Amino acid sequence: MLKIIACFKWVIDEQDIRVDQKSRELIMERVGYKISDYDRNAIEEAVRQQEAHGGSVVAVTVGPPGARQSLKDALSRGPERAWFISDPSFAALEPSQTAAILAEAIKTKGEFDLIICGEGSSDLYAQQVGPALAQRLGIPCATYVNKVTLEPGEKKLTAERKLDDGIETVSIQLPALITVLPDINTPRIPSLKQVLGAAKKPVEEIKKSDLGQDFQPRLETISILGATMERRRLKYSAEAADIKAVVDALLKEGVIA
Amino acid sequence: MAGIWIFAESREQTLELISAGTSLARQLDGAAVVTFATSRQLAEEYISCGAGEVLVLPPLAGGQPLEAYVPAIIEAVRGGDPDIFLISATQRGREIAARVAAALDTGLCSGCTALKLDKEKKQLIMERMLYGGAAVQTVVCSGRPQMATIPPRTFEPAAPQEGRQGKVTELAGVQPSPVKVVGRAPKAAEAVDITEAKVVVCAGRGFEKKEDLNLAQELAQVTGGAVGCTRPVAEELRWLPEDLYIGISGKKVKPGLYIGLGVAGQIQHVTGMRDSKVVLAVNRDENAPIFDAADYGIVGDLYDVVPKLIKELRIALNK
Ligand SMILES: Cc1cc2nc3c(=O)[nH]c(=O)nc-3n(C[C@H](O)[C@H](O)[C@H](O)COP(=O)(O)OP(=O)(O)OC[C@H]3O[C@@H](n4cnc5c(N)ncnc54)[C@H](O)[C@@H]3O)c2cc1C
Repeated sequence: MLKIIACFKWVIDEQDIRVDQKSRELIMERVGYKISDYDRNAIEEAVRQQEAHGGSVVAVTVGPPGARQSLKDALSRGPERAWFISDPSFAALEPSQTAAILAEAIKTKGEFDLIICGEGSSDLYAQQVGPALAQRLGIPCATYVNKVTLEPGEKKLTAERKLDDGIETVSIQLPALITVLPDINTPRIPSLKQVLGAAKKPVEEIKKSDLGQDFQPRLETISILGATMERRRLKYSAEAADIKAVVDALLKEGVIA
Repeated sequence: MAGIWIFAESREQTLELISAGTSLARQLDGAAVVTFATSRQLAEEYISCGAGEVLVLPPLAGGQPLEAYVPAIIEAVRGGDPDIFLISATQRGREIAARVAAALDTGLCSGCTALKLDKEKKQLIMERMLYGGAAVQTVVCSGRPQMATIPPRTFEPAAPQEGRQGKVTELAGVQPSPVKVVGRAPKAAEAVDITEAKVVVCAGRGFEKKEDLNLAQELAQVTGGAVGCTRPVAEELRWLPEDLYIGISGKKVKPGLYIGLGVAGQIQHVTGMRDSKVVLAVNRDENAPIFDAADYGIVGDLYDVVPKLIKELRIALNK
């Protein structure tokens, strides 16, 4: 039976972040959280493969206790259970820590055939966790996958990787890991029934002490500053006189000739 | 061997990283710059352009992806113990870097957009984008080597210098990768390169149908520019090739003039055009975030505004 693990991250919705124009500090007061965009595709792909071939899907996340809110959302998208790898110290993990923690947790849980991760998270977008996890588990991986075909009987998969220079099709023996691109599928919108059903699905908690390690960061943040932009922010209407004023201004700027 | 090591997918990107590496090496009292190459011929060129030593990887067997080099790179890095390892942030480069960093248990700054050196601590201080481009994160790496992937075209390629000498070392055979390439479909090269255009007319989702992009084309023609788009226009609607979308996951443009038509201005897009000299935006929603990223904002329906704009430009430019 096919065993699939879908990894996801609970992230700040970047659209809610405001920047103090003077201090360049990030204003995080009213931020919402979401399942990282690409990870929705990862969960969706896991569930589609299970629907096609049978087997099971477990959704896995690493985070601080507050990330518990994510589990219902993740489970409403189809996986039948979740692992919640949590510790208060898991709040601002850098990618090498996340990969190390996931690797340890997956090792303690045992068997799997396929791990699916998003291409990158929508907060850090470091694009490291998938390949780093594969490396730590000693399994092959294919990154930037746009299409995947599983052949569970033969314990292998064929994946199309969308790269800068074209499409590369690869064949890999399972167990393996893939990272998926946003256009691999369109994530479903959970129905009310699925949302209610998600509350009843089992969540297994994995504590830091179960993993017997410290997971020190290898990359340290010195500062985070909001990106600011000097723009004039002049507004005009669609009236002919205004349009002419804009064209005159562009001519004066010397950007059209 | 220590020093500053470099790996990139292509010759051009290797030369860019050699130029970044040699300038760091100078600050580190002439540390060695060590570059990987896939042929002896390239090795000679890299030496003439500033590498002190080149490690030549053996050719890959047919059906092997570039990533098959990962174990060989890990072994070489373990043996050579570099201070710094820079890899070009192409897609394959990103995978290779992540796997090398995981194997060596060191830190990796992905998509590093600026770096400088703290000479006393011999520490790289690296910048990267966060939250879709809303913020800049400054990081240091506490493992060894200090690793970063650097987007192509961040540095000028290094140029050859007369009479440079260096060492060429051939690395031993590469184990076959469990990932087998069974097909390749190269992408057709696009005729337009929007990163070179002086004016970029960006079509957003505010366009109702593909044919309407003619309006954007016409505006580009009048202004002597090229048409680009937002990601959904390329990836969801597929109205334009993917090479033409602008943003954190697409192309970075810095034209003299960027004109956004029906573009909302979400951060992931703005990150790709924020270096434009002048920004003009047309959007019917006066609260659209693009107006905060624009010098000139026209609040109106693009189907009404763009023809007027074209007409006015024709008069002004005598076209
Ligand atoms: C991790 C991640 C990476 C991403 N990377 C990128 C990227 O690299 N590039 C990118 O572009 N996006 C990227 N996105 C998507 C990005 O967040 C936005 O969804 C996208 O840029 C929106 O495109 P849009 O402005 O064309 O469409 P919409 O958000 O749909 O906005 C359309 C706008 O057009 C206006 N409009 C509608 N009709 C008219 C009309 N008739 N006249 C005038 N105005 C009109 C509307 O008011 C609206 O503001 C990324 C997202 C994520 C999560």
